Amino acid sequence: MNKQALSPLWTHLTSEGNRTGTWRAALPRYQDQPSPCLGACPVSGRIATWIGHVKAGDLRAAWEVLCDNNPFPAIAGRICHHPCETACNRAKLDETVSICALERHVGDAALAAGWGFEAGPERGVSVAVIGGGPAGLSAAYQLRRAGIAVTLYEAREALGGLMRYGIPSYRLAREVLEGEIARITAMGIDLRLGTGVADAAALEALAGAHDAVFLATGASLPKRLPGLDYGAGFVVDSAAFLVAPEEEQKAMTGAHVLVIGGGSAAMDVARTARRLGRRVTVMTLEPEGQLPAQQVEIEEAAEEGVAFITGAMLKHAEGGETVTITAVRVRFEPGETRGQFSVSEIGGSAFSLTCDTIIPAIGQDADLARWGAVLGADGPVVGRRAGRIRAGGDVASMERFVTHAIGMGKEAAREIIAELAPDAPLPAPLPGPLVGYARINTAYHPGHPRVRQPSAPLSARLQSFAEVQQPLPAEAARREAERCFSCGTCIHCDNCYLYCPDMAITRLLPGYEVKTDYCKGCGLCVAECPTGAIHMQEDVP
Amino acid sequence: MDISRYEDHGQFCSGHAACGGCVEALTMRVILNEIGPDAVGVVAPSCTAVILGGYPTSSARIPFIHGLIETAAAMGTGVKRGLAAQGKGDTTVVCFAGDGGTYDIGIQALSSAAERNEDILYVCFDNEGYMNTGGQKSSSTPHGAATGSTPLGKATVKKNLIEIMVAHRIPYIATASPSHLADLAAKVRKARAIRGMKVLIVVIPCLPGWGVADDSAVRVARLAVESGVFPLMEVENGTTWRIASEQTRPIDAYLASQKRYRHLSDGEREALQAEVDAGFARLKALEAINPG
Repeated sequence: MNKQALSPLWTHLTSEGNRTGTWRAALPRYQDQPSPCLGACPVSGRIATWIGHVKAGDLRAAWEVLCDNNPFPAIAGRICHHPCETACNRAKLDETVSICALERHVGDAALAAGWGFEAGPERGVSVAVIGGGPAGLSAAYQLRRAGIAVTLYEAREALGGLMRYGIPSYRLAREVLEGEIARITAMGIDLRLGTGVADAAALEALAGAHDAVFLATGASLPKRLPGLDYGAGFVVDSAAFLVAPEEEQKAMTGAHVLVIGGGSAAMDVARTARRLGRRVTVMTLEPEGQLPAQQVEIEEAAEEGVAFITGAMLKHAEGGETVTITAVRVRFEPGETRGQFSVSEIGGSAFSLTCDTIIPAIGQDADLARWGAVLGADGPVVGRRAGRIRAGGDVASMERFVTHAIGMGKEAAREIIAELAPDAPLPAPLPGPLVGYARINTAYHPGHPRVRQPSAPLSARLQSFAEVQQPLPAEAARREAERCFSCGTCIHCDNCYLYCPDMAITRLLPGYEVKTDYCKGCGLCVAECPTGAIHMQEDVP
Repeated sequence: MDISRYEDHGQFCSGHAACGGCVEALTMRVILNEIGPDAVGVVAPSCTAVILGGYPTSSARIPFIHGLIETAAAMGTGVKRGLAAQGKGDTTVVCFAGDGGTYDIGIQALSSAAERNEDILYVCFDNEGYMNTGGQKSSSTPHGAATGSTPLGKATVKKNLIEIMVAHRIPYIATASPSHLADLAAKVRKARAIRGMKVLIVVIPCLPGWGVADDSAVRVARLAVESGVFPLMEVENGTTWRIASEQTRPIDAYLASQKRYRHLSDGEREALQAEVDAGFARLKALEAINPG
């Protein structure tokens, strides 16, 4: 329209000439930040991100995000102690998200589809990995992704370490184990099975022959229980028991098995013995509720008919027709760090019971003496190293968790990659503090109970070594993924764009941009963000 | 859960003069974009007029006439009839006013227009007081709320404009909230398609007037809906009632979210809760005997 024709009373300009951005003291900033589950995750997995892909139905993308930090999602989805779920913000609204079952859902989909890994372009450097358990395989995988040649020494005849020789198949099906290991060896690894590294001198020699060495020999020396004669015929080593074929396991055990210990290994021994038809009693120093095994393992063991005597210490065992043990009730005081504790006997509480076999499963120590000359008396840790040698997994830590070992293998590999192949791409860690519950706008997260992971019927469980925990049905998995708050991760919901009273947010594809000319810095976009993916930052001109 | 999606067509412009975080501007954005370009607006003196204006600029893409505070409905009547006389009867006429210009000063013109069933969409931005002039009480100020002129809390209850309008038997009355933007957009869309008088009352938690943090007005509005203080509802033809929101929480969090209620004693808070409960129960009863 011809402006000259307008009455001078008419407005003829829009308000867009007013730069209201000058009112502002703070500016919203889009920055994905770490979720509490990531903070608790032993492999620092981008959990909120991959669950977002599950929500969207893109399991391949979810699997790729998972495998940035862990090549074993189907394994971890079965046996991880999932500290992520303990940390989950959703617990403050209703119940934690079933992260572990979702990880298994993604991992199983990858195995079913036959998705594989690709090695990076070769970089002409090589690393010796000693030990083919979770830490060693995790490191080997990360190194191959970066194009670093790997020679892997494993003393046993098969890869997997504790995952193969310690965890029974009713918790981790063997085809899953084989499938996830085969995917790593397919990346091109010089495998030396049945080839142990004897001592510090051999280790030094390997360090000379390679550009770096990663030592992950685990912890294989059983801790000894005072008051028990390990030479007696009725005492069976727990590691030897778990690794033996079923027929041998039967031969090793009498009708009533007493398992000593309250950790995962003790539960594995007890539940294996139940599957052999044995009567099983577990005796632990720790009182009920403080056993170091996962709660679900304890519950399933009890369901399967394992009897528990908690807060008790073995004093003496006497062989004969049957074995008679004497024990005493104790007060248990946990120590500063995991694995440390003190006990005091309760006077007059001695008792005795009879059994046929005793299987102590109270943990294992690393054989540090073997490497002492190279790595020093106080033991190796990740980040501390002797020349080209780094260590990880149970040999370098008291955390006896498979996923912790996987995380240590990854960290050591990334240190090695940064040193030997500095231009290889490495995922950057998310900056900033963990996103707390207060930053989640729960108006956008209606209450919905956690999906229960199905388990095999009790009647079937004791008949075989088939898996107890069953997969989530696809629809249940998608619904469970919907429950995730996506803490600290932009879900492109447009709330920030739509709630801005100043039209100061531009939609990009993907993402958003703030128009600094108009943003008044009110923070409504931050308050209405369902996931805490935006925060206000002081805006200094 | 409200899915906040609505379409933005650029009908409301950046650079307006609303306080940072003002949800009156937010609801104007949704309403103007839903109405679209074929519309003429009139506005009574109010925060809305300030946000729209600043001569010679305007934050709205449609023309607005700024009139006197008692005249929003009368201006709307004249504009609509003038357009109809020119054969532009399909053009939407929208009246914007605050609660002062609606519940108090403009009620004569509003009642007359309603009685004549004028074809206008009348939007009341209800911030429960004269917030533009420093925060005095209006007849929309709720019981117990402190304002500049009721520093110890208002002694009487909020005027029930909904039932006043229901008594006029107009085609459409609805309430809306900036916490439920998709619902607001849907109600504007529905109102536009109805011939005759439409009244939309939008709750606007006022940042300085209610004592609300800059980033919290949407949250406060959501609490108003969820606690049953400001139910989302529609009444058609005075006879068909629909109460769409549920009372899902006590009023404590709503009261605690604003400074204007912080002088209340425990007993006064309990009395307010009882009032809100009775009001909500009354609405549900009215819905039950006037079902949709």
